[in-house]
Amino acid sequence: MADEKFNLHKPHLPKGVELAEYEQVMETFPREPQRAKLWTPWFTTGVAIIAVGFIILLVRFIFGLGAVTNLSDGFPWGLWITFDVVIGIALASGGFTTAALVYIFNQGQYSPLIRPAITTALLGYAMAGFGVFVDVGRWWQLYNPLLPDNWHGGSALFEVSICVMAYLTVLIIEYIPTLTDKWIQEGKPAAAARAKNIRNWLDKVMILFIITGIVISTLHQSSLGSIMLLAPYKLHPLWFTPWLPVFFLLSAIAVGWHVVIVESILSARTFNREIEMPLLSGLARRTIMFLGLYVMMKFFDLVFYDEFPLLFKSWYGLLWFAEVAVFGIIPAALLATPWIRRNPKYLLRVSLLVILGLILSRANVFLFAFKPVDGWFYFPSLGEVIVSGFMVSVILVGYKLLANYFPVLSREGKLSAAS
Amino acid sequence: MTLNRRDFMKLSGAAAGAALAAPELAVASSDKPDLSRYDDDWGMLNDEYQCTGCKTCQYVCKKRMGFDNSGDIEYYDNPRDLNARNYTVVKLYKGEGEYSYVKKNCMHCNDPACVSACPVRALVKRDDGPVVYDPSKCIGCRYCMIACPFDVPKFEYESATPEIRKCDLCVDIVTDESRTEKDRRTLCSATCPRDAIITGRRKDLIKEAWRRINEKPDIYQHHVYGEYEVGGTAVMYISHVEFDKIGFQPFEATAIPRLPESIQHGIFKYWVTPLALFGMLAIVRGSQMKCDPYEDEECIEV
Repeated sequence: MADEKFNLHKPHLPKGVELAEYEQVMETFPREPQRAKLWTPWFTTGVAIIAVGFIILLVRFIFGLGAVTNLSDGFPWGLWITFDVVIGIALASGGFTTAALVYIFNQGQYSPLIRPAITTALLGYAMAGFGVFVDVGRWWQLYNPLLPDNWHGGSALFEVSICVMAYLTVLIIEYIPTLTDKWIQEGKPAAAARAKNIRNWLDKVMILFIITGIVISTLHQSSLGSIMLLAPYKLHPLWFTPWLPVFFLLSAIAVGWHVVIVESILSARTFNREIEMPLLSGLARRTIMFLGLYVMMKFFDLVFYDEFPLLFKSWYGLLWFAEVAVFGIIPAALLATPWIRRNPKYLLRVSLLVILGLILSRANVFLFAFKPVDGWFYFPSLGEVIVSGFMVSVILVGYKLLANYFPVLSREGKLSAAS
Repeated sequence: MTLNRRDFMKLSGAAAGAALAAPELAVASSDKPDLSRYDDDWGMLNDEYQCTGCKTCQYVCKKRMGFDNSGDIEYYDNPRDLNARNYTVVKLYKGEGEYSYVKKNCMHCNDPACVSACPVRALVKRDDGPVVYDPSKCIGCRYCMIACPFDVPKFEYESATPEIRKCDLCVDIVTDESRTEKDRRTLCSATCPRDAIITGRRKDLIKEAWRRINEKPDIYQHHVYGEYEVGGTAVMYISHVEFDKIGFQPFEATAIPRLPESIQHGIFKYWVTPLALFGMLAIVRGSQMKCDPYEDEECIEV
């Protein structure tokens, strides 16, 4: 695999370099705002979806959840919790895995991907938080988990809510350097000096926040899986297992870099940049083992609990196989083939496949294999779909705005308009 | 869903337990766990053999809550199931040559999944039995509805300021110390013309249930539903029809919150897991920063 380690950007950290100096290393390879044309057809479409979604949300807040959603007493959680929150948080895991790769495992060559990954994570978590705000019935009391009197440590949802709030705070702190750099680069001398002060001070303590962020992420990514352990008689036995939290953590780690890959390839197109292929295929190669481990554990789980026959008893078995194939066997095999993961076109498709697989694996647990006591049925309403589209659009539009006006992407790799 | 040894192992977390080594996981799960600490809890016994389906209980319950009786016209005037306006519903089961009325309401479990689910303690199990709800704490996340194995908590989807709705075992009456023990009865049991619903302490209810079963052993099922299911419930049932036919599933005696709570508590005991993780990451970073991943062989290849 040595061929993927060439010096496209400043590589790994030299011996004994501390973080503050490291950030200075980064300043010799600075990021810069992209300043591309804003109102492209895609961007306009995104803004239009946001506008429509906003109107639907207005209806939801004035008339209640029933006016917009198909939620019922049998299916109290639908598309919003499953997609906007549970899947959204898993897809935003690229922030903490990339941070671990660069700052813990010292793979400095990946530092050009740090800011895009943190940007995606910040937007993803912000929208997951907003998704909760939209979905809970009594949103004006959403601060209640913060009051010590109400703390209920036994509830996985309590842990998730505290961790998500804490991690969102960490992400905002991790984002401050991007903001200060804008003023360092473009501000008046006095403002630039002040921004530089903040930046230097922050660099000294940043590693604490980075490690805290990784710890918090590990905890809540797994706890999201514990949530359904409280519904042993409603979740199909193919999915109900004490190992659910481990599955959720593993799959979140595996999918995070694929989101970074998709985001990187798409933003290369949007901003007319060189695709950072050696870095991306390196990330892709690192996810193979997580995907493989996930598949192995899924099979081991069935063998251990003697549930193999269930695979052939109903169409749930097919769903299980689909999950293991799409989020595991197929992409792992494709990524293990060097010429596939080194081709941007193919890599983009494989990464999208992994993301699809992650969506399937979460939807299986929270929607498809969730069977309430009575014969209830759920299919998302148009309003629910549009609001979920609203969340995705805010993330994409937000990313373009941030990359356009703030130093997120590195200066290197910019292609000239002529080429 | 039939339950067997596999499900039992899953519920008690046989595998995850080994990994976490939390002492709580050593919960001895047998078919008849010792539930004597719930003996004095208030509860109800619903005798489906005695029930004539008059629905007086349903009517007085709605009246107590101040709900309009005209609201649900789904099936003429009787709601299909529990909902945000009906804390109790009498349903009819009709099988081949047999039928039974079934009075549904909150089971007030000894170790309720809804209480374990609630992230803000809006739902609590009182020491004297009832599971009660405090809207001033509730955030409306509806995790209790996901968790409840009996599908009891309901939500006001049509309201802009919704609440979770469910039977509170007439907590104001039942726990009123100024009343005599005999007078502390839920409205539905107080108005039942047939002794089909009785209020009492859990141990007395179990005694009475078995007395009725032993009196007419040819008629009743030899089973008190809720005596051990999901770790025991305060509202129990006896019936002349098999329980799974009238909508009562054959649940394990293990309380549902045991597995998830032992995992949560295992991870956060003395903050061991987060702190260990933090330390581990710091150590890895320290060692990785010292060496050059390109040249030093002993560096971790990531």
